[in-house]
Amino acid sequence: MKGYRKYFLNKLGWFAVTFVCAFILNFILPRLMPGDPVAAIVARMAQGMSNARGVQAIYEQYTELFGTNKPMLQQFFIYVNNVFHGDFGFSFSQYPRTVADVLASSIWWTVGLQLPAILVGWLIGNFLGALAAYLKKGFDKVLMPASIFASSLPAFGMAVILLVVFGVTLEWLPTSGGYGYDLIPNFSWEFVWSVIVHYQMPFWSIVLITIGGQAIGMRSMAIYELNADYVKYSRFMGIKDRKIVRYVFRNAMLPQITGLALSIGTMVFGAIVAEIIFSYPGLGSTILTAVLGQDYPLISATMLIITLMVLITTFIIEILYGFIDPRIKAAQAED
Amino acid sequence: MSVMSNVVLEVRDLTTKYVTRFREEVYAVDHVSLQVEEGKSLGIAGESGCGKSTLALSLMGYYFPPLHYTCGEIIIDGRDISAMRPDDVRKSILGTEIAYIPQSAMNALNPTQKVIHFVEDVFQAHDPFKSKKEIHEFAKEAFETLGLPEEVLQKYPVELSGGMKQRTVIAVSVLLCPKVLIADEPSSALDVTTQKMVIKMLKGLMENGFIKSMIFITHELPLLYNVTDDIMVMYAGQIVEKATAREAVFDPLHPYAKGLMGSIIVPESGLRDVKLAAIPGVPPNLKDPPVGCRFAERCKYVRAECKVAAVPLYDAGGGRAYRCILSEEVLREAYQHAG
Ligand SMILES: Nc1ncnc2c1ncn2[C@@H]1O[C@H](COP(=O)(O)OP(=O)(O)OP(=O)(O)O)[C@@H](O)[C@H]1O
Ligand code: SF4
Ligand SMILES: [Mg+2]
Repeated sequence: MKGYRKYFLNKLGWFAVTFVCAFILNFILPRLMPGDPVAAIVARMAQGMSNARGVQAIYEQYTELFGTNKPMLQQFFIYVNNVFHGDFGFSFSQYPRTVADVLASSIWWTVGLQLPAILVGWLIGNFLGALAAYLKKGFDKVLMPASIFASSLPAFGMAVILLVVFGVTLEWLPTSGGYGYDLIPNFSWEFVWSVIVHYQMPFWSIVLITIGGQAIGMRSMAIYELNADYVKYSRFMGIKDRKIVRYVFRNAMLPQITGLALSIGTMVFGAIVAEIIFSYPGLGSTILTAVLGQDYPLISATMLIITLMVLITTFIIEILYGFIDPRIKAAQAED
Repeated sequence: MSVMSNVVLEVRDLTTKYVTRFREEVYAVDHVSLQVEEGKSLGIAGESGCGKSTLALSLMGYYFPPLHYTCGEIIIDGRDISAMRPDDVRKSILGTEIAYIPQSAMNALNPTQKVIHFVEDVFQAHDPFKSKKEIHEFAKEAFETLGLPEEVLQKYPVELSGGMKQRTVIAVSVLLCPKVLIADEPSSALDVTTQKMVIKMLKGLMENGFIKSMIFITHELPLLYNVTDDIMVMYAGQIVEKATAREAVFDPLHPYAKGLMGSIIVPESGLRDVKLAAIPGVPPNLKDPPVGCRFAERCKYVRAECKVAAVPLYDAGGGRAYRCILSEEVLREAYQHAG
């Protein structure tokens, strides 16, 4: 157990270092983009104003408000201080909304879309992969090419196929948005139904891609395990095939958990393509508008969320995994 | 062999084949007959690829692809298991009548399952009504008798050292007190000290009443001398020599067995530091074995007649047999000149 605590602390230290580096980069990188975001806002605010002095005054007012007139290093420390107090500042591109407000209204769309899609895709994919390994022959011959196709298609490919087939050609499903553009969010049946209908295409485009990747991984893991020596030995000790199949799938499944946790951790990236294609109001679309509008605070904050999600999920897997899978624990103890 | 002897395992003309993905047939066990009496052990030796492991698998009477049964009988305590339904074999033979330690015993245990849980599964596969408490008590006692620490039961296989894993697999294999134990190269992958410990453990199994007889497979013929009562030498899927351990090691008849031992061995100097002579050449491809003697390509004493027809196993009396067209006298004469 002592070795394990050392392992734990060591990992924790590395995660802290990674976090600090990511935090600094998240601050610096967006600000290295050429262009002046404040000028864009001022241009919008000062539309129709002909007074140059007035425009200049507004400009200065905003640079003061956003702190962009100060040296970079000072800006950084102000930023650190604010973040520690839970304040992410104003969004440049959606001023006067705050970053916190923008994130709060978009993150749940992403989580609501991605989490179920990843889980459903993971479960179905693993089930199909295991079945293909076990049944072989006909089923495998259909599933494998289909999975390879689905998983090697770029994410937007799947989304576009669905869009063209169900949205444009069949006109069964709406092609964009999180709900009907003529509706105001509320708890009426009409609104909920609209959300459900708009949910389908982005959801299935993610599910299908996840199924493909997971099925391939699970199939090869399961085939490997089915040929393992313990399978043969267990058979010769008279153990029933049904029980042996359970050993095999448990062992094949465990490494797949890493994949699940990783896709949950990186779900915001996974969402970008589907959200943009279907104009879904989640974090993915937010990132796009933030980048286009040079919205430093919003970019830094979304990147921070992503960094944290990835770090936390990887950390949890690292730690929990040793308990779930004795093979990993043995390897960890040797580190 | 006394008249009173009690034959535990009797195998007659057992033939099995592998059918590969390309539908090729590999006859890796070709008309093998053998007998093991109660309290006796039989060693099987031969170079890599001669079919030792396949023979071990075939003796279990439970076949799954790519291995297929072709013909022959396997009689354990008077019961012919080759005629039984696979599920009956699984339930009432495997583990209880005949048990098997695979060549790669290091990986024979499921890495994510505690030893004790596998032990439970083994017992319950044969007797679903046995309580966990009974199983645990029995397992603890058995492990103690076999000199294994009780804690091993609570561990995952990955937490055990190689030697400990090997001994654990042996212990688990004999928990149901099988009449025959087949150990496939149980000591080959271990260092010398552990090897000795494992062999000692195997020898003790019969004294402790866990098993009634044993088949010990190895590619090192001399290793068998101190371990088993009788020895069979295999070549290209066939038995080429059958004798007592002493005869097989110090007075082999078949040119292949002779070659395996080198020519310089005399019983007095013992087996220490004996360098095994490598026999030049390679064994025939079992997909398409030669018509005549399978050893002909590598045999120093080969003649034209050797390649004409299949060579039968000749009875040399006293339980000895060898597969060569030359007579005992001619062979001994030849060895004398060579040595
Ligand atoms: N799964 C398989 N499919 C087809 N042929 C096989 C298969 N397994 C083994 N063989 C062939 O059967 C023959 C006997 O193999 P086997 O493993 O029984 O040899 P062995 O004497 O145990 O060798 P080793 O000392 O290396 O363990 C070899 O020629 C091998 O190529
Ligand atoms: S039959 Fe001929 S080739 Fe075969 S072992 Fe005897 S002498 Fe050698
Ligand atoms: Mg072998």
